Amino acid sequence: MSGAKTVGLTIDGRNIQVPEGTNVLRAAEQAGIAIPHFCYHPGLEVEGNCRMCLVEIEGLPKLELSCSTLVREGMVVRTSTECVRQARKDVLGFLLAEHPLDCPICPKAGECRLQEYYELHGRYAGRMIEPRERREKKLPIGRGLLLDRERCVLCTRCVRFLRGYTRTGELGIFERGVRSEVGIFDGQPVDNDYSGNLVDICPVGAITADDFRFKTRAWFLKRRPSVCPHCSRGCAVVVEFVAGYPLRRSEKRVYRITARENAAVNGFWICDLGRDGRHDIDDGRHDRLLKAGAPAAGLSWPKALADVAAVIRSVPGPERTGKIAVVLNARLTCEELALAKGLFVTGLGSGKVFFADRKPGAADGLLLTSDRVPNGRGALEAGLELRPADLDEIATSQVLLVFGSALAGHFEKQEIARAFAAVPSKYLFAAHTGPLDRLTDLVFPVAVPAEKSGTYVNTDGIRQTFDRAVDPCPGVVPEGAIFACLANLLGLNLGDFDAR
Amino acid sequence: MVENEVRLLPDDDGSWRIEAYLRRNGYQGARKALTTMSPESVVAEVCKAVIRGRGGAGFPAGVKWGFVPKGAAGPKYLCVNADEGEPGTFKDRLVLLRAPHALLEGMLIAAYAVGLRTAYVYVRAEYAGLAARLDEAIAEARAAGFLGERVFGTGFGLEVVVHLGAGAYICGEETALLESLEGRRGQPRLKPPFPAAVGLFRSPTVINNVETLAAIPQILAHGADWFLGRGLPRDGGTRLFGVSGAVRRPGVYELPVGTPLRTLIEVHAGGPPEGRSIKAVIPGGLSAPVLLPDELDISLDVDSLAKAGSMLGSAGVVVIPDGTPMLDVLHVTARFYAHESCGKCTPCRIGTSWIFKTVERLRRDGGGPADLDHVLRLADGIRGRTLCPFGEGAALPVRALILKFRGELEQAVAR
Repeated sequence: MSGAKTVGLTIDGRNIQVPEGTNVLRAAEQAGIAIPHFCYHPGLEVEGNCRMCLVEIEGLPKLELSCSTLVREGMVVRTSTECVRQARKDVLGFLLAEHPLDCPICPKAGECRLQEYYELHGRYAGRMIEPRERREKKLPIGRGLLLDRERCVLCTRCVRFLRGYTRTGELGIFERGVRSEVGIFDGQPVDNDYSGNLVDICPVGAITADDFRFKTRAWFLKRRPSVCPHCSRGCAVVVEFVAGYPLRRSEKRVYRITARENAAVNGFWICDLGRDGRHDIDDGRHDRLLKAGAPAAGLSWPKALADVAAVIRSVPGPERTGKIAVVLNARLTCEELALAKGLFVTGLGSGKVFFADRKPGAADGLLLTSDRVPNGRGALEAGLELRPADLDEIATSQVLLVFGSALAGHFEKQEIARAFAAVPSKYLFAAHTGPLDRLTDLVFPVAVPAEKSGTYVNTDGIRQTFDRAVDPCPGVVPEGAIFACLANLLGLNLGDFDAR
Repeated sequence: MVENEVRLLPDDDGSWRIEAYLRRNGYQGARKALTTMSPESVVAEVCKAVIRGRGGAGFPAGVKWGFVPKGAAGPKYLCVNADEGEPGTFKDRLVLLRAPHALLEGMLIAAYAVGLRTAYVYVRAEYAGLAARLDEAIAEARAAGFLGERVFGTGFGLEVVVHLGAGAYICGEETALLESLEGRRGQPRLKPPFPAAVGLFRSPTVINNVETLAAIPQILAHGADWFLGRGLPRDGGTRLFGVSGAVRRPGVYELPVGTPLRTLIEVHAGGPPEGRSIKAVIPGGLSAPVLLPDELDISLDVDSLAKAGSMLGSAGVVVIPDGTPMLDVLHVTARFYAHESCGKCTPCRIGTSWIFKTVERLRRDGGGPADLDHVLRLADGIRGRTLCPFGEGAALPVRALILKFRGELEQAVAR
C-alpha cells in the first residue's frame, strides 16, 4: 500500500489503519472482525439492500451500513452493541420468515449464510405464523442453473454480476414488494461463459447448479487451492473433492471447481470453461499402463520405463539428434519443462523436440485468453522453442515419446497413423484416453495439473506456484517423475529435483 | 383564507392559462430574478424565506439548491416531483390544474439560481390529463418567451420535459424518481451520494415538489421578508392543506404555516358533519402518525408536528370520524404499505408484508395483546433500518395506531 493514504479508525476498541477509500466492512475484516452481510460483494457495485451489515458509528443517530460507509479519520465504529445485535436479529428474522427452511434438501446447506448467521446472530424462536409466499422452486434459468425463488433473499448479487461484469444482463428483478423475484426476460436465459459464478456468489441456495445439486453435501468436500490450466490466464481456483478416491467405482472425486480470489489475476471470478475443468480431472482418465490399447498385464511402471530407457540407449549417441523425437505440451509445469529440456535437449541432444497443444480459441475480453494452455510463457522461459510438431520429421525418427494427446487435434488420424507406423518405438504419456492410444506401443497414465505441484507463468508473466490439490489416481505418475526416472536410467544428471 | 391578495391557487379551474396568470402579475418574480439578480442572490433570498419542502420531508428549498456544486463541468438537472401519491394528499394536483404557470415560473427561478438548463417534471400516471395541461402551459410559456432560449432577452434558457410515471408510490421518493426517470425500475438509491452531487444521469440534480416550486415566484416578487411574515420564522409562507374525511367542506385550503390544526378542521373545513365527532386525525398524509382529538391544538408547521411525534408531511389532513373501527384503519394502512413497498431492502419488503398478513389474520381470526405487541415489534424492526424513508413511513403510522388505540384494538380482536 505504498503511496496510498491510510486512515486510522477504531472498530470495537481496536485501532486500525486502512487505505483511504476502504469501506467499514472491509476495514473490520482486516481487523479480524466479521460483519455479517448478504448483498455486499467486493467485486460488485454496492447496493445496500440486505441491511444485515448495519453498525453503530459514533455521532450518527441511526445505524449505518458498513458496506457503503467509507472509513474516515478518527471514526469510531461498534459492531456488537445491543442495538446492532438486535438489528441483525430482526433482519434475519425477516429473511427467515419468508424462507422455506428446506436445508435438508438444499445443495447450499453447510455453506449457506442464512444458516451460518442464524447460528451466530439469530438464535430466536420463530414468530411467523402466517403462511409464507409460495414461489417457483426449480426454475431453469439457463446454462444448467436452477433458481429457487423461495430461498432467494433478493440480494441481487446475481443481477449485479451480470450487469456489471459480463454486461449481459440476463437476470432482473420482477414484480414489487414481497412478490419481488429474480427472473430472466422472456425466452432469454442466462447464456454467458461466466454463469457458474452465479452459484458461487449466491449467498443462499437460490441459484444452484444442476450438476451439483443432490450429488453430495458441502461438508463431505475437501477444498484445496490450485491454478486453472485451461487457458493462459491461470485463474486461482479451489478444487472441491471427496478425499479417499475411489470410494466406489462409480463415484467421482471432484464435485466442483470454484473461484478463488486473486486480485492480480482473476479478481473473484472464473469462466465456465475452467469450472468445467473438473471433468478433465475425473472423466476419461487412463489409470493403468496400456499395451496396444489393452491393459498391459504383468507390466510394471519401473519395467516399462526401463524398456523405454533401453530403447533410447540403443540409439547411438551421434544419431540421437534425428532419431529421438519428443512431443511436449504447455500444460507441463515450469519444473517439468526444465527437466524435459535437461533430458531431451541437453542430455540426449534430440533435435526433434516439438510442442502440441490444444488449438487456440477466441479470447473473450474478460478472463479467458486465446491460448488454451496454462504455461506457454513458462516453456519459453525454460528456453524451449514452441516448435509445432512435424509429422515428416517424426516419421524419420526411431524413438518417439509423446506427452499428451493434443497432436490429434492438429492432424488427421490417418496422417498420424502413417507417420507413427514408420517409427519403430513410440510411447504415449497421457492423462486421458484419446485417438493416439492405439497408435503407440505403450500408454503411460500421467497426472493432470490438479494432481501436481509446480509453477505456471501466466499470460502476463505472473508466476504462480501451486500445490497438489487432489491425490493422483492410483497408477498415475506426474511427468516430472517420469523425466527424472528416465534421466536416472540413462545416467543423466538433471540436478536436484524433487520428484514428488 | 389568506388575508393578503397574493395567492398560489386561483379560485376557478378556468384561470390557468398564461393570460390569466399574467393578469395576476405572473412571471414578475422570474423576470426580477433573471434580469436584476445574480444566481447567488436568488439562492440567498430563497434561503432567507425559509421555504420548507412541501413534498413531505420539509427540507429548506434554498439550502437544497445551495448543495449543488458551483461551476462544475457537465450538465445539471432540475426534477419536479409531481408524483403526488401520499394517501390523503391532493394539493399538487390543484397546482397543476389551476396554476401550472406558477410551477413553470418557479422552475425558471430555480434553474437560474442553480445554473441548469434542463428540467424534468415527473408526473404520476394517474395525472395524465394534468400532464397534458402542463404541456399546453409549456407551449404557452415558450411562445411568450419565458421558456426556451434567451428568456427575457437574457442569455439564460430552460427546456422543460414532462415525463409520466408508471403508477408506483415509491417513485415519489426522490432517488426512486430518478431511477424511474432514467428508464429503470423505480427503486431508491443508496444515499450518499445525494442527488445534489450525483443525481439524474449521474449529474448534480435538484429535486423539488410542485407546490414548493410554485411558491417560489412569490418570494422573488415580494421579497423573503414578506414571505416569511406570512408564515413562521422557522417555516415561511403559506401552504396548501388538503382536508378530507369527516368534514363538511373537504378541499384544499391555502393558509399560513402555523395555522392551528383545529382551526383548519373546525373553521375552514367546517368541522365534522352534524351529529358526528372527530375520533382521530392524520395530519400529513398516511405516513404521518395519527393524532387524537385532544392533540389538535397544534401549529401546522414542520417542527411542531415533528415535536408531537407526527409529521406535517405533505399536509394532507384526513379526519377520521367517531364510529370508524380503528382495526380497519390499521388494516388499510398496512395493506397500502405492503402493496407499495418496492421490495428492494429486506426490512421493508418482508416487514410490511408480515405486518399486513398479521393484521389480516387478526381481523379474520381474532387474537390477543401479544399479537399487537408482535406487530409493534415488526414495526420496530423496520424503522431506522431501511434504505429509504418509506420504512419510517410504513412503520410509524402502524405504531401510532396501536399505541393510541390499544384498548379498542384489543377489544376488536378478542373472540
